[in-house]
Amino acid sequence: MEDGVITREQALEQIATLLDSPESRFPLNFNSKMPRIRELFHAATKNQWDPKVDIDWDKLDVSKYTQEQRDAARLYWSRRAWGEYGAISESPALQIRFADENRPSDMQMFFSIRSQEEARHAEVCHDLAEHLGGYIEKPISQLFQGSIASHGVRRAALAAEVPLEGIIAALVCTAEEIAFDVFHHLEDVTEDPVALQLVRLIMRDESRHCAFGWYFLEEICDDLTDEQKQMIQEAVVNMIEKVELNGYHSVWLAPDSEATRKEIETDEITHAAGLGATTEELEKPIFVKTIARIRERMAKLGIDMPKFTHPKVGEF
Amino acid sequence: MNGLPNTLVGPAELETVRTFVEQRFPLYMSPTIDSIWKLYDEAKQGRWNPQRDVDWDALSAEDYDEDVRRAARRTYSRRAWNEATGLTETPALLIRFCMETGREIDPKFFLTVRNTEEVWNIECFDRVAEIFGGRIDRPANPAYEAVFNQHRHRRIIDYSQTLDAYVAVHAAFEDGLEYVLSEAWRSEAENPVIAGMFDHIVRAKKRHGTFGWLYLEHRAPEWSEEDRTRIADELVTYINDIVLAGLQCPWLSPETAGAEAEADAVTAEAGLGAASKEAETGVLVDFFADARSRFEGLGIALPRINSNRLGWL
Repeated sequence: MEDGVITREQALEQIATLLDSPESRFPLNFNSKMPRIRELFHAATKNQWDPKVDIDWDKLDVSKYTQEQRDAARLYWSRRAWGEYGAISESPALQIRFADENRPSDMQMFFSIRSQEEARHAEVCHDLAEHLGGYIEKPISQLFQGSIASHGVRRAALAAEVPLEGIIAALVCTAEEIAFDVFHHLEDVTEDPVALQLVRLIMRDESRHCAFGWYFLEEICDDLTDEQKQMIQEAVVNMIEKVELNGYHSVWLAPDSEATRKEIETDEITHAAGLGATTEELEKPIFVKTIARIRERMAKLGIDMPKFTHPKVGEF
Repeated sequence: MNGLPNTLVGPAELETVRTFVEQRFPLYMSPTIDSIWKLYDEAKQGRWNPQRDVDWDALSAEDYDEDVRRAARRTYSRRAWNEATGLTETPALLIRFCMETGREIDPKFFLTVRNTEEVWNIECFDRVAEIFGGRIDRPANPAYEAVFNQHRHRRIIDYSQTLDAYVAVHAAFEDGLEYVLSEAWRSEAENPVIAGMFDHIVRAKKRHGTFGWLYLEHRAPEWSEEDRTRIADELVTYINDIVLAGLQCPWLSPETAGAEAEADAVTAEAGLGAASKEAETGVLVDFFADARSRFEGLGIALPRINSNRLGWL
């Protein structure tokens, strides 16, 4: 198969999904049943931004960086763009799930703008990579693709046997919470004014994405059975062990290989240049703290999380 | 017999769909269809806020008699039912564009904005219905529900539905039709709040229709004769089974959508953002002629279609 060519020869899969039941739209209701989530939708509507006009691209002076720094940063921001891109199809899958399960319209509305925000993030990360010398279309080594290709949310979102509560707990309250804390930290360590502006704008959106997850879980937690809580716990553990500890957000957590070492080096050079990345040393305590906070918040909802281990972090 | 076309009477059990397995890398993210990228930029810059940009306080049901209020709430409820299609159709299209190898980045980005704009339309229509007495949560005649319950998101995800044919029918033709109709509703709106609301909605609808045609223009050189025939066939099915079954204009199907048709007539008469049957007939006839000519330019022969209520189109 040629790159970028539409072909009917692509591989197919057949998996049972929510789509196997006929659509039944009525009665149709748009009343707000989760007002805090409706508020988030309205806040997002008020706070839209456009990478093309709301970033001061003129302030990006690439000449002050070495070729090595520019190359590292363009790979770093390309990688960020790949991650954000994943959400462009994961977010709509959840939106379909909300509709098919007749969840409160607040959730569908919020996710309609969440998808747009994810596209904006992908666009702006791509644009920064372009300014730094050119966006890169794939990881340097195919070996690293496994860590960042997908965390399976899109498929899970359409699979009836995977409970929605578990997906939101894993994706939003865990993965997005981790991503948010990293962005928060990036705000402290990023020196380039344009990269910093970008980090801040993304972080503002991400704070709403995280709030959505917790508002949702808080709203439903009183009605959860022990079995459902167990499923949520399993989904969260799976996300941490199989996705996060495999390097989805933080490259230094990926299994050791030449490809991983190269990606880590890229982050270190980008970080030293003040262009937006961070290092294992700085990020490790933040990551541990985030997991501890997630554990604490989940416990308040009656969901217990076990300890985790990772060769570079130990038990946490 | 419920009077519905066969394609609208679905089976109770459905076969499991086959979907594409995504190959994410290489991931091309630089613009490839400049015209659609420009549309995406326009959509971002044309953003608005239904809460803030429509003077809702100035829209008062007290200014209208009971018959008009009843009609307006039904007209705007129906519009919200129709817009609700976007809550699953646009996300499914986004997924499909992402899963099918080689699909361009520009439509993906554009569709994320369209998704939000459709929700803003729902918010507006729902709010108007609420102001005029409260949203009605389903059609008066259950048979009319089938026109809305088309399960489009399933079709889109299913690999056997070709994406270009779907875009031709539902983005170029359908969104184009909804644009010209909403323009007519805007021009007939005497109430300034409703007119102001439609100013925003029409701008977005214009972009949605434009997107479909631009994408087809980009793709057309790649089509085979089989692709073109398929697009024409799907257009004919859509027109017969959906448009002429009253999705956009309920007066086209008085046997299932009589209550909604009567409501639209009263809403139009009151200047609340609807158009008369006569005015909509003109819009439909002109649109069909224009669409036929545009499809012809793409090598697609859209046959003449006979309708009891519109004659030969």
